[in-house]
Amino acid sequence: MAFSGVVKTYGEVRAVDGLDLTVDRGETVALLGRNGAGKSTTISMLLGLLPPTSGEVRLFGGTPEQAVRQGRIGAMLQDGRPIPRVTVRELITFVAATYPKPMAVSEALALAGLEELAGQRVDRLSGGQAQRVRFAVALAGDPDLVVLDEPTTALDVEGRRDFWQAMRAYARRGNTVVFSTHYLTEADENADRIVVVDHGRVVADGSGETIKRAVGGALVSFDLAGGPSDGLTELPGVTSLEIRGDRALLRSADSDATVLELARLGLVRGLQVAPASLEDAFLTLTSSRTDAADGGPAVSGTGASEGAAAVGEGALR
Amino acid sequence: MIDYIRLEVRRTLRDKGFVVFGIGMPVVMYLLLTNLAGSSGKEAEAWKVTAMVGMASYGALGAALGTGNGLAEDKKLGWLRQLRITPLSPARVVVGRGLSASVTVLPAIIVVLLLGALVNGIHLAAWQWIGLVVLLWLGTTPFTLLGLGNGYRLSAQAAGMVNAGCMMVLAIIGGLWFPAAAFPGWLQEISRWTPSNRFADLGWSVTAGHGPSAGTVLVLVAWLAAFGAYAVYAYRRAARTA
Repeated sequence: MAFSGVVKTYGEVRAVDGLDLTVDRGETVALLGRNGAGKSTTISMLLGLLPPTSGEVRLFGGTPEQAVRQGRIGAMLQDGRPIPRVTVRELITFVAATYPKPMAVSEALALAGLEELAGQRVDRLSGGQAQRVRFAVALAGDPDLVVLDEPTTALDVEGRRDFWQAMRAYARRGNTVVFSTHYLTEADENADRIVVVDHGRVVADGSGETIKRAVGGALVSFDLAGGPSDGLTELPGVTSLEIRGDRALLRSADSDATVLELARLGLVRGLQVAPASLEDAFLTLTSSRTDAADGGPAVSGTGASEGAAAVGEGALR
Repeated sequence: MIDYIRLEVRRTLRDKGFVVFGIGMPVVMYLLLTNLAGSSGKEAEAWKVTAMVGMASYGALGAALGTGNGLAEDKKLGWLRQLRITPLSPARVVVGRGLSASVTVLPAIIVVLLLGALVNGIHLAAWQWIGLVVLLWLGTTPFTLLGLGNGYRLSAQAAGMVNAGCMMVLAIIGGLWFPAAAFPGWLQEISRWTPSNRFADLGWSVTAGHGPSAGTVLVLVAWLAAFGAYAVYAYRRAARTA
């Protein structure tokens, strides 16, 4: 699957703004981004439900429409709900039959953890169970690529755990899975590779570890006490600087060197050193409030600068 | 596609609303309208036949339009989008929907005709019974298309209301509940051009012992074309936005 220079605009809004992304067979990839980052638009184009304004989406060497028609794609769309007045087995049997080489219905039910619910009417299931039915719908045709758009929104903790358990069991069979989420931990725990999307672009791409390292290994913070913040980005190891109130937050690839230099300059006031979490990494990547000169190795720019001031931690759920 | 039709027919027959209103209503109305008056004689016998065709038509009309409600509901649930990412082509989904509607109109037609024969003791020739079923069955096509058009174009709630409204207006003005002969002259004139009146006329011509007139068929074909165009327009619009 490959996106090259894909742009999708809705009037003035550039929902997807020059997206480049390649996914190989067998990968489990998370598209991570805030609400409105362009994930769902990206997925709609991947499935051929939306044509890109410019650029190209290729799937298995053809267009998404061809791949869909050949039965190589299965998907769980956002906000979809299973249709009423059918049983779980009837629904999965129907979907499987539309594909050329489906898996056995019993296998699809087993993978989604639905064996005991097979005879139940779909409209009488709990939210978590219904979501697993939709997962079974996505994989019933044994497609080469399964796409899941925010599969766990609206699920409680238990529902989410059961869902990811089912998803991992499926990915272990060697299937290619692309899912979108705005939960960092979900991306970290369930994907081999995380693609961070912001303002319709890929801002980081790699494993959870790579992304954390790319952004800077640790967060060093201290009180400025009214002192100037000029030159702090020049300190050894520092990759970015953020001022929060009267506190300077330095992201550092080498926190020891940074702290030694701060001590030499006599700036150690209320000093804290914390390991960067993926959440920190995510916020750095998706926020242009940082005055970083340039990003780390795997980070390709921090997205458009305008409009990004609205980005806050509050946007993350 | 057979699987899709089977799935949809199954879903419709499990819909209590459909069974109660789509089949129950015409049945109850037919029995009430033909037996409450308690009159007998030639006129009453003729009324039993007229009302049988009217109520079978009314039930079929409701079932055909009701297809659109299910469609709008599926659209709301995201099921139509889900179907677009299965190998099932959109054209086959639409045709499958239409064909499943043609199956779900049959219960109302058959049950009302059976009641006419068994309860009200109507005697018709075998060809007349067969002709009735076939013509009323084929004649529902324009209404299925109207229902599908509404289903594609409107929200689930609006589609339900618009389809119910269409059904009432078409049934009453078309003279399916009360004979159009009782209408004032200007309304009779309008009634003759409605698809529902011409639809029922297919059946009335059979019970009168002859085939439908060319005029009736022409008016129905015109409505078929109009509703078909509407359904295509609504489908295209929905495909762009859904």
